[in-house]
Amino acid sequence: MFGVIQMRKGFETIGGQWVGVLVLLGWMLAGPALAEPVKLDPRHWGHEAGEKCVSCHSKASSGLASQWRESAHHAAGVNCMDCHQAERSDPDSMVHEGQIIATIVSPKDCGRCHQKEYEEQQGSVHAEAFALIEARLPALADHVGGPIMRAASCDQCHGSRVGVQGDGRLDPATWPNSGIGRINPDGSKGSCSACHGRHRFSKAQAREPEACVRCHSGPDSPDKEIFEASKHGMVYAAHRHEMNLDAPEWVAGRDYTAAPTCVTCHMGAAGKLPSTHDVGMRNAWSLNSPVSNRQFLVVFEDGAKMELPEGAEIPKRGAELTRLDGTVGQVKTLAAPDRRRQAMSMVCLECHAKSFTESFMSQFDAVVELFNDKFGRPARDVMAGLYAAELLTPTPFDEPIEFTYWELWHDEGARARHGASMMSPNHAWWEGMYVVGRNFYARFLPEARAIAGERADELVDAVIGAVESHQWLNDPGQSSPILGFARDTHEEAE
Amino acid sequence: MAGSGLFSVITRPVVIALVIGGIGGMVFIGFLNEFHHFASRNEFCTSCHSMTFAETVYQQSAHYNSASGVRASCGDCHVSPGLLASTWDHVVGATDFFKQLFGENYDDPVINALHLPESAFMAREWFRKRDSASCRYCHVQEAIQGERTHTAAIHREETEGKTCIDCHTNLVHRPVPDERTFKRDAWNRMIEEEFGLEPGTADRLLAKPRPE
Repeated sequence: MFGVIQMRKGFETIGGQWVGVLVLLGWMLAGPALAEPVKLDPRHWGHEAGEKCVSCHSKASSGLASQWRESAHHAAGVNCMDCHQAERSDPDSMVHEGQIIATIVSPKDCGRCHQKEYEEQQGSVHAEAFALIEARLPALADHVGGPIMRAASCDQCHGSRVGVQGDGRLDPATWPNSGIGRINPDGSKGSCSACHGRHRFSKAQAREPEACVRCHSGPDSPDKEIFEASKHGMVYAAHRHEMNLDAPEWVAGRDYTAAPTCVTCHMGAAGKLPSTHDVGMRNAWSLNSPVSNRQFLVVFEDGAKMELPEGAEIPKRGAELTRLDGTVGQVKTLAAPDRRRQAMSMVCLECHAKSFTESFMSQFDAVVELFNDKFGRPARDVMAGLYAAELLTPTPFDEPIEFTYWELWHDEGARARHGASMMSPNHAWWEGMYVVGRNFYARFLPEARAIAGERADELVDAVIGAVESHQWLNDPGQSSPILGFARDTHEEAE
Repeated sequence: MAGSGLFSVITRPVVIALVIGGIGGMVFIGFLNEFHHFASRNEFCTSCHSMTFAETVYQQSAHYNSASGVRASCGDCHVSPGLLASTWDHVVGATDFFKQLFGENYDDPVINALHLPESAFMAREWFRKRDSASCRYCHVQEAIQGERTHTAAIHREETEGKTCIDCHTNLVHRPVPDERTFKRDAWNRMIEEEFGLEPGTADRLLAKPRPE
């Protein structure tokens, strides 16, 4: 009853415009607001050979058998074979103790029971995390590092393209791997165990911020650090025991109100907003690009998805569109950046007022626009000019300014934008936009001018001169006590 | 009467025949035994060039290099223990010799590698039919301790209806998948890549009868 009242209240507060969003989202996700119960008939699991697996693996690798015994899978009678069984024709099938199995349990395999989660996850920025960077990888991983770094680092987060050798073994250069965009031998993309630690697959564990930390930490995406330094993280740390993390359903505002975690805002159910395994669906901006774009989400009839920047030609429903992999898909539905923002905002509204939410979002948007206008676009234009004038070689990272530029948007710029998006003042400024500015003025511009030489006016300063926010450079006489050398204090001291 | 009848049968020529036959039989048994040892030696097997490919990998395995100094020869694993069984295996094994002479050019490393899976499947089937007798000649299942915590328990409690080869494959020679999940295409591509051959070469080599 309480839940119903809460929902009704929320419904009235959000007004008519939001109702449309709810309907759209509900339809898009084609699922209820709560964790999807498995619909498959239980007769389909409880493979008869499973008992033997457990008997031997309780001795051969007792840790994983014990973890499984603690799992909801065990409680429901789901055993090793239910997940690991394979078809003879599967590229990675093998015979193990007389059974045809595969080591890798792909999202497609999990999707035999967890169909809704599988469909949502396919095409998401998580599932595509390797495919999106595969072509760019060699320039950084192989040249600057070495191919061996892929398995040890890049692939750990982005996933690997798992190779099956002719002798049936999984290529050790690509496996083990639980990167979230792993391309599996069955062609499916992703790894459920990236977040859901095997073999326990605990709901509570996946709802913790720690589920995201392996990848969302460090200089280029310090989301763990940002969350911990934010008010959300502060409240979470103090009230973690009130988070109801083990609850079968976990709707923000109903099953818990103490604090949000990563999952709450990016995936979780909140009020009437349904949960989703498409982690990027609520993201109005791309934040990890040289210049941020507001982005449309295109959902195709076959379940594939694609991001389109605002300003690109936006297709209509039913239209055909060529995708990044070259295939043509039919557009099923589109979510405009505003709609995606509205979805994210619905989570905020479970705890915050509408005006509070809107004002926060406008602060965040302004930071992204500042980065774009003042640093992202001008730096990109300067670099483009240097490449066009053949003052730089096409090979990335063989000239110092390429590292400077890369860090400007990929590390420092991402920190600033993520910091503003999740309310860490330190990351927005000292770790973020301050370092962007320092890099831009003290490294990037001097390096670019040196490379441009006689053409510096045309290739560098003309670009900067056209940007209003850099005009302060034209007045060298503005004194301030900030460095301890302000003119009036200086004079007084004398 | 019977006794005198028997004695009347044991005439001088009969005694001579029995002695010669007995000695001849012992010599023959001795010969078979010696032949078994001779024909089980690595040097004998690898006197055909095609067998040296298997030997190279074997020399990296624990059955060649063990801390205890025990070294299993080709025949220790691939010829059954016991005089009759070993003799039979050597007779059947002679088909390898005829294949070497009249079959594909197994001395070619590519041809050899392409045909390896079928050899592996046959060898596994051979082990299975004999309940891994040659393994068991050295290894006593009840005595296996292993290095991991529960290896002994697994060999006591989890082996019903199984024989050594069911679990222990790809120990010595180049790894080959189980016959039930073997993918010829993937194997051919691997061999082509290994020897720097154009894709499709392997399939052509397998389809083509041996050039005269």
